[in-house]
Amino acid sequence: MIAEKRTYKVTIAEIVVIFFALLFLTPFYFVIINSLKPFGEILKSAASLPKSLTWGNYSNAFEKINFLKVFFNSLLITTITLVLLVIIGSMTAWWIVRYKSRFTTILFFAFIAAMITPFQAIMIPLIRVITQLNFINTRIGLIIVYMGYSTPFTVFLYHGFIKSVPIQLEEAAIIDGCSIPQIFSYIVIPLIKSMTTTVLILQALLIWNDFLLPLLILTKKDLHTIPLAVFSFFGQYTNRWDYALATLVLGMLPIIIFFLVMQKYVISGVRAGSVKG
Amino acid sequence: MNLIKKTILATIFLGPATIFFVLIIAYPFFSGIFYSFTEWNGVNAEPVWVGLRNFIEIFKNDSQFLASFWFTLRFTFTTLILTNVLAFVFALVLIQPIKSRGPLRTIFFLPNVIGGVLLGFIWRFIFVNGFSALGDLTQFSVFLLPWLGTPATGFWSIVIVYTWRSVGYLMIIYIAHLLNIDSHLLEAAQIDGAPNYILFTKVILPLSMSAITVCLFLVLSWAFKSFDIVLSLTAGGPFRSTETVALNIYYEAFSYSNFGMGSAKSLVYFVLVGSITILQVFLTKRKEIEA
Amino acid sequence: MKKFLLIALFIGVFSMLCFANGQVEEKEQVKELKLFHFKVSQVDQWEQIAKDYKAVNPKVNLTIETVGGAADWSTTLKTKFAAGAGPDIFVVDGPALAMTFSEYLTDLSDEPWVDNVLESAKRPMIFNEKLMGMPFNIEGYGFIYNKEIFRKAGITTAPRTLSELREAAQKIQAIGVIPFGNGYSEWWVIGMHLMNIPFAAQPDPTAFSAALDNGTASIVDNQLFTDFKDLFDLTLEYGNKNSLTTDHNAQMALFNTGQVAMVQQGNWKEVGIYEANPNADIGILPIPINDDLQVSNKVPVGVPFYWVVNNQSDLQEEAKDFLNWMVSSEKGKSYLTDEFGYIPAFDNIDSNLLGGISNDLLAFAGKGDTIPWSFTTWYGGMYNEFAEHTQKYVAGEITYDVMLQDMQDSWVKLSK
Repeated sequence: MIAEKRTYKVTIAEIVVIFFALLFLTPFYFVIINSLKPFGEILKSAASLPKSLTWGNYSNAFEKINFLKVFFNSLLITTITLVLLVIIGSMTAWWIVRYKSRFTTILFFAFIAAMITPFQAIMIPLIRVITQLNFINTRIGLIIVYMGYSTPFTVFLYHGFIKSVPIQLEEAAIIDGCSIPQIFSYIVIPLIKSMTTTVLILQALLIWNDFLLPLLILTKKDLHTIPLAVFSFFGQYTNRWDYALATLVLGMLPIIIFFLVMQKYVISGVRAGSVKG
Repeated sequence: MNLIKKTILATIFLGPATIFFVLIIAYPFFSGIFYSFTEWNGVNAEPVWVGLRNFIEIFKNDSQFLASFWFTLRFTFTTLILTNVLAFVFALVLIQPIKSRGPLRTIFFLPNVIGGVLLGFIWRFIFVNGFSALGDLTQFSVFLLPWLGTPATGFWSIVIVYTWRSVGYLMIIYIAHLLNIDSHLLEAAQIDGAPNYILFTKVILPLSMSAITVCLFLVLSWAFKSFDIVLSLTAGGPFRSTETVALNIYYEAFSYSNFGMGSAKSLVYFVLVGSITILQVFLTKRKEIEA
Repeated sequence: MKKFLLIALFIGVFSMLCFANGQVEEKEQVKELKLFHFKVSQVDQWEQIAKDYKAVNPKVNLTIETVGGAADWSTTLKTKFAAGAGPDIFVVDGPALAMTFSEYLTDLSDEPWVDNVLESAKRPMIFNEKLMGMPFNIEGYGFIYNKEIFRKAGITTAPRTLSELREAAQKIQAIGVIPFGNGYSEWWVIGMHLMNIPFAAQPDPTAFSAALDNGTASIVDNQLFTDFKDLFDLTLEYGNKNSLTTDHNAQMALFNTGQVAMVQQGNWKEVGIYEANPNADIGILPIPINDDLQVSNKVPVGVPFYWVVNNQSDLQEEAKDFLNWMVSSEKGKSYLTDEFGYIPAFDNIDSNLLGGISNDLLAFAGKGDTIPWSFTTWYGGMYNEFAEHTQKYVAGEITYDVMLQDMQDSWVKLSK
């Protein structure tokens, strides 16, 4: 009886949530239908379905911004940053949790403080540093800035997770004579896998979509990333919505696919991680 | 483990993060503090030391800064509640064994795939061109409102966009935590015949407190800093009624070319936001149960 | 342990890459001339220009840095200078921004192209009798109007004064079309372009600004600012509803669908209009502030940006040579007129335009019926504040007198 009643309620909840989901999708409706209209029609009737499908926007956008090139740039920058971020972030967080000292406490609070610092406050001095290090117009320069900028949040996420990971396994390993690097690589890394997927997803989005930092650091066309490319269709007084929306859709697809792939791991990862003593 | 070995290991584990942090955040931040005591347009070679003048100016003569702070507070508070309630509810439903679970999770998360500045432009387009088109079609009054044209619609448009953007993100965190709750506890409570609201308030909510702390903190830190979406959505308009503090600082530093003043404002703001955030973490942490 | 070593190796290699990166590219005979501009839509053309220039002048390698689009390009430029990485050639949008960079400007008065620059395009960038910037083109704005609607409404001659404009608006309204499509949610439409009119219509705009600076004149009791109320109110009375919701895209949507007869915009919208309606019959009207033909029948024409040479650069001569090449060689000129579709700011370069708006603008400019873009001389932050005050007036939050007083206060505050 109870079970049946619950199913019934769950169904109602499901319907309500589906309704919300449809609402959430409306902006994508606008983006997609308008990416298939000629410029004039977008401005005339933004909400209606296209009279005929204008795939030309896509081929035009693809060509104009050299999509493969900017895609490669975005991919390279995002991938390298993510790998470094996961390694360095998890190492730092693990050490902070397991070997608490005055220094680690200060470091952790500094990371938290960094998360609430408005970017405008550090923008000019930051670019100054990057310039002095000769990192302007290099991908590595941008990656280093992302490392500095995203490490605090990554450490924050791992920190919260590692706290809930039982220490017994690690203690047992020490008794068995494992070194600290061994413990970290063979015991801790597998245990925090689910948080790693979360970190990957969340940070991938931030980096893939970031606009301001590439704008400031990568001014050469060869180095441009996808958000910069989309923006090339917005001028001071005019916006080329037709090309911009098509580019936007092209730029969104990889990250959506990435999310769909990773989503499976998030859930299985969380399941595996929940086996605890 | 001897001390030398431990120091070496600590350097390996903490070193890289510390270096990046000092280089990219700490050093620029502290030089920002230096500039806040100067008058400098950000371009010319030498900043001029003016002592506390910028700070006095902020509290004495800058009503727009205070107005933008008040706006940011209202906006942050509204968004904080809306996003967390919706995200929690969606998470609760989407951990149930329902067929549409996978696609729904994806849909709610989807808004995150568009970057901030662009997102503002797209929503601006929707509020201005899309809503009026829908209004002509359906005659629903909500679409016929002067969106972005009044302080009230400006406020709600930013709240809507932020909520739309953040709910999926928080939902993922809540789902992860809810799945980690020991199902035996819930089953035990259900077998005892506890009604749903008791189950919710006495079991689920207390057990989720650590996730709630994190999510509240996240929304606080985002909303207080909100800049890019607002810049492209309303640019602070109409008549600067939707100007967030980050936007105010940006205009001060770059439109008005007062980088010194901008730095001073961000320092003041940093202290204010820091206090509020510490207060929030302190309050919710007290309610956390170590899982 | 193996995994750990691998990770350590990865980090090691990575950091080596970091350091290696800074050291390459140093030793080259070719000089690297860095040019900064913000017209993102012209990236490809600029890449091509760099190649063409290299063919003529193999010693100079032109590096194009493009920043901008919807983003505040001047922010990036300032950040670059603040970081000590100023380019050799860059753009400023007028004297106000040039003053921010005053420590970095190079005198261009003796360049060979100077005599061919239109006088009005030269004037704003002359400081202490030295010309500090080079314009490429001129732009203009006004009321873009739909000639077909005007004909239907029985308007035979283009309105030249405020009364004539009012008459036209009444006739247009009579046939069921909204006369004005106001994009007053856009700060630059209302706070910059529209507010420019009473400043630029002054007998001597420069003297007026100076008088405002030293307190001998005031916005509050100036006749033209009093006149401006009738114009402003006219656009509101005969305008679209919710003008504070309408941005420049929405404005163009109203115009392109024939819902409104006029929009206050400039020649940068021309391409978009013809793309929406290839047969559009359009032109541009002045924004008449009163009934004095000598004052009202003039369009605001200005230079959207000037090229300046960084005086801290080691390559000043190379920079000047390049700028000269752009406006004297056939190749360079063809970029301006054919590729960019500019109305040139030089009397020795013929434009290549056919659109109704550009033609009207050229006609006004040819007769000397222009007023300047005074907003390019306003202090930083002035647009923001003027937009704030005027939008408040549109919303009915404040009266016109309060608006003028607020503008006066802003001027005093920002000119300090």
